[in-house]
Amino acid sequence: MIYSPFPMRVVSKRAEAPGVNTLKLEFVKEEDHEFFKQNYKTGMFGLYGIFGEGESTFCVASPETRKDYIECTFRQSGRVTSTLANVDAGDIVTFRGPYGNRFPIEQFEGKNLLFIAGGIALPPTRSVIWSCLDQREKYKDVTIVYGARTVADLVYKDELDEWKKRDDVRLVLTVDPGGETPDWQDHVGFVPTVLEQAAPSPENTIAVLCGPPIMIKFTLVALQKLGFTAENVYTTLENRMKCGVGKCGRCNVGSVYICKEGPVFTAAEVQAMPQADL
Amino acid sequence: MGIQEQYRSEAAALLSSGEVKLVIGFGEGSTADRRRPLFARTPEEAQKFVLDAACIANLSTYLVTEGLLSDGKKVAVFLKPDGIRSVNILISEAQLKPDQVVILGYAIDKAEITALEGRNISDFSLGEEIRSHTPPPHILQEAERIEEMNPAERFEFWKAHFSKCIKCYACRQVCPMCYCRRCIVDVNQPQWVSTSSHTLGNFEWNIVRAFHLAGRCAACGACDRACPVNIPLRLVNYRMGKEVIDAFDYCAGENSSQKPVLASFKQDDPETFIL
Amino acid sequence: MTRILLRNKLDDCIAAWQKAGFSVFAPVRQHEMSSFGEVQKASDMAFDLVLPERTIKDHFFPQTEPLIKYKIGKQQIDSETMTPPDRKRVFFGVRPCDASGLAIDDPLFGWDYKDDYWFRRRDNSVIVTIVCTEADDFCMCTSVKLSPESDKGADVMLRPLANGAGWQVEAVSERGTALLETIPSLLQENSEPTAPVPQVAEKFDLEKVMEWLASKENFESQFWKDISLRCVGCGSCTFLCPTCHCFDIQDEGDTYAGIRRKNWDSCSFSLFTMHTSGHNPRNTQSTRWRQRIMHKFNYYRGKFGVNSCSGCGRCTRQCPVDMGITETLQAISNLPR
Repeated sequence: MIYSPFPMRVVSKRAEAPGVNTLKLEFVKEEDHEFFKQNYKTGMFGLYGIFGEGESTFCVASPETRKDYIECTFRQSGRVTSTLANVDAGDIVTFRGPYGNRFPIEQFEGKNLLFIAGGIALPPTRSVIWSCLDQREKYKDVTIVYGARTVADLVYKDELDEWKKRDDVRLVLTVDPGGETPDWQDHVGFVPTVLEQAAPSPENTIAVLCGPPIMIKFTLVALQKLGFTAENVYTTLENRMKCGVGKCGRCNVGSVYICKEGPVFTAAEVQAMPQADL
Repeated sequence: MGIQEQYRSEAAALLSSGEVKLVIGFGEGSTADRRRPLFARTPEEAQKFVLDAACIANLSTYLVTEGLLSDGKKVAVFLKPDGIRSVNILISEAQLKPDQVVILGYAIDKAEITALEGRNISDFSLGEEIRSHTPPPHILQEAERIEEMNPAERFEFWKAHFSKCIKCYACRQVCPMCYCRRCIVDVNQPQWVSTSSHTLGNFEWNIVRAFHLAGRCAACGACDRACPVNIPLRLVNYRMGKEVIDAFDYCAGENSSQKPVLASFKQDDPETFIL
Repeated sequence: MTRILLRNKLDDCIAAWQKAGFSVFAPVRQHEMSSFGEVQKASDMAFDLVLPERTIKDHFFPQTEPLIKYKIGKQQIDSETMTPPDRKRVFFGVRPCDASGLAIDDPLFGWDYKDDYWFRRRDNSVIVTIVCTEADDFCMCTSVKLSPESDKGADVMLRPLANGAGWQVEAVSERGTALLETIPSLLQENSEPTAPVPQVAEKFDLEKVMEWLASKENFESQFWKDISLRCVGCGSCTFLCPTCHCFDIQDEGDTYAGIRRKNWDSCSFSLFTMHTSGHNPRNTQSTRWRQRIMHKFNYYRGKFGVNSCSGCGRCTRQCPVDMGITETLQAISNLPR
């Protein structure tokens, strides 16, 4: 039945940053897992819940190339996320999804990829990154620009190290001015600035951009300066959601339902939306 | 000159002199017998004001609109005695500054409408009027009928009415005293009051509302008129008001220097309700 | 010759439907409120209403609907999906605007993901409308291109006879035909004239309104701020609307057990779109009112080819500050080109 979630067992919980956790979840029922395996594509989202508290919407942070489990990364802020942050391995939570559209990564084949993420928005980007890195041969140059407020706020630190070590990935890390530690060796500066300095070529390149609205706004300007067209920049939008399936009536920006027509949009599509509704 | 013309020109003068930035009054409604709130920012707009016996809404509720008075400028508002009483309560609860509100007072007696003297809240002394005021006979009769019921009957009466509630919160939104930016029913950590509109959840909301308005209600009847499912909220308000008068000899809104009764302590306060 | 149902046969009619397994609902007046309620006999029904205060929507999309029952144990959490009652129901005496409201909401609850809670009720219900003989100042069905005799959403349509003795009966769907087959002996051939249908004047130019709403530059027009200034932000217009369908999902219970519920929610409420971070895309009453109008007369049409308004006028009729769709659309219609 619609609105009925899948029970999920917590495999592990990993602290990423202050107030930010990643849960690795596995399906309790095989038929639910089958459904997920058949339907999940990178970019889609779900409603993660816990009975007694409710559901909260965030992306599936694990890639479509690894469907044995679901990973989700979230900041503890409201009623549901505060409870989810306190679960232990073995606990049962719920998942409803996967919902929404996806990053059309088969259309990215043969192209250079530029991933840009800010803070807690690495999770949706990371899903695409691994979906592509797991089929590395299909794509050309891969550049990842990731920034957070402080060093402590960087998420997936192990994976950042891994990407850094790979010679087929160019990783550009940055923290906001004042957010660096004494031993910080990467960039200091805001993402748009660092991106401009890194100056990736727009030639045959797709950009995937996720971050808080203010970062998106300025990064789009930087991308434009670098010569990227709005059609070649993909991003995700989020809004408060309750149903996830286009019925509860709150996630629309103008006529566009984020839950159904999104969450993945090109920058051109976002620019066509009424900006006052964002 | 009738009161309508008098207040139109007075509103226009207040606006053109710059004394107030806004006048809140009434305009024509969607049918002949309806009046709707009208906001005038220019002397021309003030000419659209209507003032007659159909102007029964308590416009003081707009005075607590978020941000309205934060620039320190004055606002004028058409108020009947119950609206003036509301302003007294709002001032006593530190929600309004007395000098920010210019009152264009009027009273309706049957179909007769008269202007009230004074423009500043301190010009109006309502004390005696409020004390001696008795609710309309139909409310008293209803209230008495409910008092005479045994507890089971009374419970059934309220159950029947509260079951109808749809939690549209019109009662809250039109009430000048419901100025909280985040109402307790909208708080979810913890979820004090159930958001669901089933009978139990409706009881919770209506009881919370009644308690939060005890000793604060100006008896303007806005909630009762606003309720789209016709819950007799007037009876709830009347009963709570009576309770406070009996227990504390306190009538909300007699003047603006009162101390809110349930927020202040006196040595001789009755303690009979403490178990 | 047409078939008629006489008023004095209504008790037999209800009994026949009950015998055929239907519960019968009709407009009733209870505890100072009119709504649709279950009836046992004709005298339970309130026939003198232009329109009940509550809509028929209540019985398809209730204000609170249990979705899942859960129990939280030490070792495990048990949950059980709750299904809506699937009893067969006849809704008798529905006004065409309310019936249209159901038809308008069908595509929303059905697109892609099917809302079982809505459709289980829809599939088991037969809608018997009665064409209006009276309209009040707030009725606006003609303004949204429907009419007091629209058969949209109806299974059986009744036209009141001029002499007041009963109704001319016409099945307008297969489900309606099947319903009438349960009462063949109660219908009779007759050619009595039917009562005239009220003239409901069009209050605004819908085409012009839709054109204005579709124009991007008007999205941030001062118009929205001015028209919504007196809106107090309650949910009465949305909750009394036959087509408003927004909802919230909430868990409620104690530490050990509870129910996940689907509750009505309203775009008028400031919390409706509020992010946990505090960011609120629609953070003023004017943007919320704009959303309501745009949703009904622009977005919904774009998705489902129909406006999300059936012209019942309840939004204005019941508004505590005399706002409503009519005034706004009239104002748009009267804007200089």
